[in-house]
Amino acid sequence: MTAGNMDKKRGIYIHMPFCVKKCRYCAFLSFDAEGSPRKEYTDALEKEIKLRAAQEKKNGTDKPVNTIYIGGGTPSVMDISSMSEMIKTVRRSFEVDPDAEFTMEANPATLGRKDGVMLAKLQAYKFMGINRFSMGVQSMDNDRLHFLGRIHTAENVARDMDMIRRKGFDNVNLDLMFSVPGESGDDALSDLEKILEFGPEHISCYSLQIEEGTPFGEMAEAGELTEVPDEEDRETYHRICRRLEDAGYEHYEISNFAKKGDDSDSPSPYRSCHNSLYWNMDEYIGLGLGASGFINGIRYKNTSDLNEYLSALSEGRLPIAEEHRNTAFDNISEAVFTGLRRREGISYEDAVRAYLEADDGEKKAPAESCDFRNFFWDIFAEAKEEAMGYAGRGLLIIDNEGLKLTEHGIDISNSIMSLFV
Amino acid sequence: MSYLDNIRNFSIIAHIDHGKSTLADRLIEKTGLVEARDMKEQYLDNMDIERERGITIKLQTTRLQYKAKDGQEYILNLIDTPGHVDFNYEVSRSLAACDGAVLVVDATQGVEAQTLGNVYLALDEDLEILPVLNKMDLDSARPDDARAEIEDIIGLDASEAPEISAKTGMGIDEMLEKLIEVIPPPQGDPDGKLKALIFDSYYDSYKGVIIYTRIFDGRVKRGDTIRMMNTGKNYEVTEVGYCIPGTVPADELKAGEVGYICGSIKQVADARVGDTITLANAPADAPLKGYKKAQSMVYCGIFPAEGEKYENVKDALEKLQVNDAAFNFEPENSAALGYGYRCGFLGLLHMDVITERLAREFDLDVITTLPSVVYKVVMKDGQVLDIQNPSNLPPAALIAHIEEPIVKADIMTPNEYVGSIMTLCQNRRGNMIHMEYLTKTRVQLHYEMPLNEVIYDFFDALKSRTRGYASLDYEFLRYQPAKLVKLDILLNREPIDALSTIVPEEEAMAKGRGICEKLKEIIPRHQFEVPIQAAIGQKIIARETVRAYRKDVLAKCYGGDITRKKKLLEKQKAGKKRMRQFGSVTVPQEAFTEVLKLDDGR
Repeated sequence: MTAGNMDKKRGIYIHMPFCVKKCRYCAFLSFDAEGSPRKEYTDALEKEIKLRAAQEKKNGTDKPVNTIYIGGGTPSVMDISSMSEMIKTVRRSFEVDPDAEFTMEANPATLGRKDGVMLAKLQAYKFMGINRFSMGVQSMDNDRLHFLGRIHTAENVARDMDMIRRKGFDNVNLDLMFSVPGESGDDALSDLEKILEFGPEHISCYSLQIEEGTPFGEMAEAGELTEVPDEEDRETYHRICRRLEDAGYEHYEISNFAKKGDDSDSPSPYRSCHNSLYWNMDEYIGLGLGASGFINGIRYKNTSDLNEYLSALSEGRLPIAEEHRNTAFDNISEAVFTGLRRREGISYEDAVRAYLEADDGEKKAPAESCDFRNFFWDIFAEAKEEAMGYAGRGLLIIDNEGLKLTEHGIDISNSIMSLFV
Repeated sequence: MSYLDNIRNFSIIAHIDHGKSTLADRLIEKTGLVEARDMKEQYLDNMDIERERGITIKLQTTRLQYKAKDGQEYILNLIDTPGHVDFNYEVSRSLAACDGAVLVVDATQGVEAQTLGNVYLALDEDLEILPVLNKMDLDSARPDDARAEIEDIIGLDASEAPEISAKTGMGIDEMLEKLIEVIPPPQGDPDGKLKALIFDSYYDSYKGVIIYTRIFDGRVKRGDTIRMMNTGKNYEVTEVGYCIPGTVPADELKAGEVGYICGSIKQVADARVGDTITLANAPADAPLKGYKKAQSMVYCGIFPAEGEKYENVKDALEKLQVNDAAFNFEPENSAALGYGYRCGFLGLLHMDVITERLAREFDLDVITTLPSVVYKVVMKDGQVLDIQNPSNLPPAALIAHIEEPIVKADIMTPNEYVGSIMTLCQNRRGNMIHMEYLTKTRVQLHYEMPLNEVIYDFFDALKSRTRGYASLDYEFLRYQPAKLVKLDILLNREPIDALSTIVPEEEAMAKGRGICEKLKEIIPRHQFEVPIQAAIGQKIIARETVRAYRKDVLAKCYGGDITRKKKLLEKQKAGKKRMRQFGSVTVPQEAFTEVLKLDDGR
């Protein structure tokens, strides 16, 4: 990657904060779909899309879009009609590449009760241009699904996958959650086997995080939840990594695995382009309640207050709650800690370019005349000794090109990343 | 009739929380010297820490004017006293400046240990005492019981004790009338040789040290050369005046009066509380009795925390010392914590106040080590060493024996708690001297206890075992031989000098185990196992292990919210800055003070 930001394309993230029912571990921004102003929300969202696009055009900073990601919440609970209108607005407002990756998150058992309805809905999504599904499977054990507060069963997953495949969607991610209280490593591996049977192109594996302010958080505080010990959690993680490698998946990011293509030596064609934006310091426009974005050197976050969101847009204002123009150090720091999430790690060159390209008003030397490695360690001189310590313990690989975590380095990645902020 | 007849010099004495400061506020308000709108809650307690904790540390003194019912105008000099056992000497000097005292008794609580302690101090200074029943506005007030307690326990006639509410102002006039009647006017010869008692002093950046004084004999004015009779130092007087409150210059101060003197004095240590001021060219024959140099009872190390400058700490300590003659410090070097200071305090509260002021007023980040008392170490060669830093304890082979300070502790409690207090004191190596029933339901227990056992958390333990009803008063008694050993703490097999303590031999095992367990909770996991050991000499007596760290990973980067992730990482990094590196082990700074809070149920 040598091209500057100017030639790069952008992604779009759209947030749909509604769910049939909130899961017991979820600290995410979401409301019960029933009784929430879903239509008002998509109307407001369309206004935001148009406002944002108009602003970019006015400033001359608009760029083609090569990924769209509709996340939630549960986007699949939204009405097809308003979804379709909203997506049309996106396409009218931004220049979307014909071959853009277009992902929608969907939860099992939300795509329709009857086969006929489900197939028709999937057809509609196909018309909209959605070409990748990300399914919140989490577990294939019905008791555990119930415990998590999910509304679906393992049978729902099987049926949904069947329908999705029947409609010809050939890029599907399945989320798997492990280290649920009461779950053994063997349980998690058995979930994984069942998930592998669907032959997903992409798998995301997360260990459950118990967050404050959730029902699980309260239970943990009251001593009613026994968290899986860290040692066990990490052992399960590494077993999952082994199993997925054996099954022909490329472990390209801490939690993400992509099925290898025909040429097993080159990067998998199924890596998530959209998520990769986050780890490459690429630009993305965040739209919707609580969405984050990074464009034109500015990180911003929309309001998380639904009423505030609706009223801002009814008054023709962007619903931005926080805005921060990245400094050169912000850029390199983020490049490093997000880049370290990738198994390929971060090259000195990419990190330093992020620094030099920062639009913070400071004049910097042209990148061509730069010794990236020295430049990098000059900036992080304070972190060097500790970083070397991690390298000495086999947790971090530091070479002439850059840095990357080892698989065991991942276990304590926050400690390593925090050296660079 | 002499001018002296219209002066009353008095203090207010009370148990902590009985309403002394509130009463002082009301008096100041009543006598109209401070406009009501300038009244802060508890005017005399002017440090934030004092107001927050409801205690008085630094004295204030105020000249009140009161027109009595007899038509005469009286000058009432209210001399404040600190309200904590750590400051008993200061209390006694303030009382020495008075001719009488108002004893405030909380009518809902009755007489308490400090009440009695303060009364005894007042009696030692021959003061007339006017008992007053406060908090009479509360439904729970039991004036008759309180009166009976004052008569039974203290032996004062309380039948005419004014019933007041310092909070609402009720009964204040009656109290002032009674005060003029009961408390005698000062005596003294304005034409004699100057004898003035320093009962407090503080540093003012414009005027230098301002001395609060009571003139016993003679007079003093601007331009006089005064001499401190105990320190022998001379100063030229630049200003004298009254505290109304604040400083209001006057032509002179003469016998019987209370006021302030300035003389370009650089630090309060040069105008020590208890010293006698006289004139250099016509000195008095002998100083007033009762002068003592402040004795530090408790010591601890104060070290700059990571990222804090040594010089900043030094500057702050010097500034505090300028205003606090009882606080002293000297440089100390710790292998674990680097360069810092060994500081001496009157007691644990004094230590708390100083460390808190370092944080608040000077915005300093410091680490305080375990407090220690001063041990007398008798060497085999007959030499006697004063050791207040456990790291300096000589090798056991060279020591003949060690002596530790013993205090006389008086505990007053409702009788139902006697059993649990006796257990507590026994566990703290207390030796009961005797016990007396003050009334049918109130008991006073007299103990001799090692100071070492009192300084950590004895007061808290006492309060928690008696639901706050017991009260404590203590004072130094003597040094006494004890079987003591140095308990070392090793992290990853390296001794950490700042965690060493001197403990009784028979308790070393339990203490060592307690500290190891506490550290196990405090020390974060590392990527390797960290053994925590307690040792006496070469012998390991307790061990805990901090398990190796296995997981520190945030799986999901929610919807591209890089900023959130970044904040988490920044927080983690900041957390690490508050850690100390010992070899390869990282220890949070709280560890050094947290190990104190050993709640082992003793």
